[in-house]
Amino acid sequence: MSDTKKKKSASSKAATPVTDAAVAGTASTADGSVVAAQVADASEPLALGEARFLTSEALGWLVEGLAAAGTPAVAPAWAGDAGRAAGGVGDAPETEYRVVSGAAELALGERLPRLSLKQFFLPPTEVLFSYKRNGADIELTPAQAARDTVVLGARPCDVAALPIVDKVMNWDYADELWNARRAATTVFSLSCKVEDDSCFCSAVFLGPAALKGSDGRLTPVDGGYLVEAFTDKGAAFVAAHADAFADLPDASANSAQAEQFRAAARERVAGNLQVDHGRLRDWLDHHFDDPFWASLGPRCNGCGVCASVCPTCHCFDIVDEPESVGSGVRRRNWDTCQTCVFTLHASGHNPRGDQNARYRQRIEHKFLAYPLKFGDVLCTGCGRCSRACPTGQDMAEILTAIDARAAEDAS
Amino acid sequence: MTELQDTARRLLDEGEVKVVIGWEEGRRGVRPVFVTSAADCDRLVFDTRCVHNLATFLNPRRSQVASLGKAALVVKGCDAKAVAGLLREAQIERDGVVLIGVRCGGVVGSPVAPDAPALTAETVASRCFACDVREPGLVDVLVGDAQPEPPGSGTLDERIAALDALGPDERFAFWTNELSRCTQCYACRQACPLCYCERCIVEKTEPQWIETSPHPRGNFAWHLTRAQHLAGRCVGCGECERACPVGIPLALINRKLQQVVLELYDYTVSDDPAVPAPIGAYATDDTQDFIK
Repeated sequence: MSDTKKKKSASSKAATPVTDAAVAGTASTADGSVVAAQVADASEPLALGEARFLTSEALGWLVEGLAAAGTPAVAPAWAGDAGRAAGGVGDAPETEYRVVSGAAELALGERLPRLSLKQFFLPPTEVLFSYKRNGADIELTPAQAARDTVVLGARPCDVAALPIVDKVMNWDYADELWNARRAATTVFSLSCKVEDDSCFCSAVFLGPAALKGSDGRLTPVDGGYLVEAFTDKGAAFVAAHADAFADLPDASANSAQAEQFRAAARERVAGNLQVDHGRLRDWLDHHFDDPFWASLGPRCNGCGVCASVCPTCHCFDIVDEPESVGSGVRRRNWDTCQTCVFTLHASGHNPRGDQNARYRQRIEHKFLAYPLKFGDVLCTGCGRCSRACPTGQDMAEILTAIDARAAEDAS
Repeated sequence: MTELQDTARRLLDEGEVKVVIGWEEGRRGVRPVFVTSAADCDRLVFDTRCVHNLATFLNPRRSQVASLGKAALVVKGCDAKAVAGLLREAQIERDGVVLIGVRCGGVVGSPVAPDAPALTAETVASRCFACDVREPGLVDVLVGDAQPEPPGSGTLDERIAALDALGPDERFAFWTNELSRCTQCYACRQACPLCYCERCIVEKTEPQWIETSPHPRGNFAWHLTRAQHLAGRCVGCGECERACPVGIPLALINRKLQQVVLELYDYTVSDDPAVPAPIGAYATDDTQDFIK
């Protein structure tokens, strides 16, 4: 850890809280439309004429300009907190996605942000509406409208999660708040260097430079970033801030360097996990009562940190909170299937009676139920669940173990 | 290490226990392991990365562990203190578990490292400074070599002193910022060996004592309540803070509680279950300064 970084971390402004005002959507303006690029990891760079150059300095003043204009810019930033006291979870300074206002806060391409980008589309808590009783009438105030927001430098695994969760949020009903935020947000991903051996994006149909969900992409090159736009929203952002985006100093060399960066990352992650999703799904479908599940439950604390940090876990709880006599708010908050009370019935019966059953649920939802319904997997291979687990539950290891059992069954 | 593995093997071979709960080398450092076969006992390790408090697995509500059968638990000082807490509060029976004590000279902050780091003032977990148990007393078997005192100084106490020196407004601002990141995931509770309630107060809805929404009001209510419930019970193992996905320095709260309980009740949590905690004992000379 460099001293400079630490100082930056300590002196940067406190984390801007994810206020309802910053990210809330509204029922009235949501049109349910979702603009998202559904493209696989491209090994071919775009035509050179379309790529632009964003120097590190220009990124800094782009962020400062957006803040001055009142447009929330979300980016990886040095964690604005006091630091763990009992001992850290790692030596490198921690980072987080937050609304940034200055260049010194930025931590693009540093340690993977603690929580995923999910919090800006499905906040840990949000107001659905507030109510006030006026005699016999009840006055309802809807949630605040979504604000135009730009995300700069999010990991491709976090960005790919957005179209994956779109399918859930537009299945049996259209989630107006989610959709409004999706429509109001332009997302530039950052080609990823690959964090460590817990990453497995390449094993879930993605890759460290995957385009899924990205309106545009930054790839590190000497002096800054090579910038590509893939959607109208992405191109519109580049055009609206044309002063920040320059011509590439040496288009051919810069593109080659960017592709070299992406290729090295692909190679780095490829060995972390390889599974056959078809046979894995078949195995899950036929082994609900397999003794394997009893090997996963005992270690699990049942805390659901895996779900909190997961970019694709999307379950929520809805609560009514009185503010005073006759008035209050209805909120929705993150929830997780890993807790005992998630499925606890009023009768006292719990269909998922122990952690073996709850952990099985986590795996089966991600790699069986979601794929059968939506044809993808509910996982982007970011590896946060493995890194954040206090007891060492390891998703890549678990998928490897299931795949090995599936291979045995198939033979 | 061999001594630990041999002890576990003997307990399983002789049928005294059905499972030995200890630590193993995982793909990413060490982690808890549940060994049910004598042939697997060579997986057991103990080194400076063994930070987890294994007493959490004795929580009788963890039916997926209880169903494995009678357990032997590997305990270092902080694990033994937590087991003593469970005994003191009648959560488990003493003859329901075999305790394999390991001598401990301190641990590092994180279990994630390819090899056991040497303990230095930089690597040692700050909580180890406040622990005086090199050799747990609440054990059936004791293994391992004698250990020196952990290196390092009272950085935790220094941080608390710095907070104490602030005015109330500044201190409130500090905690407002720290707690603003809480998502009320309750990983702190789940990692705590003394948070064993069948139904946590935060899950009670009739009435709802604590708002479950992670806004400042709900987060303060949650953390203040948790602190109150752990005063004089917290063993200072720091697992809540390690489990926190957003880095809230909960160890500052826990250590402050230890200081307050020591000052008011002359009590330090130990691994002797016969010594009652202040919350469970009546003493005529208890301080009553708080009654105004």
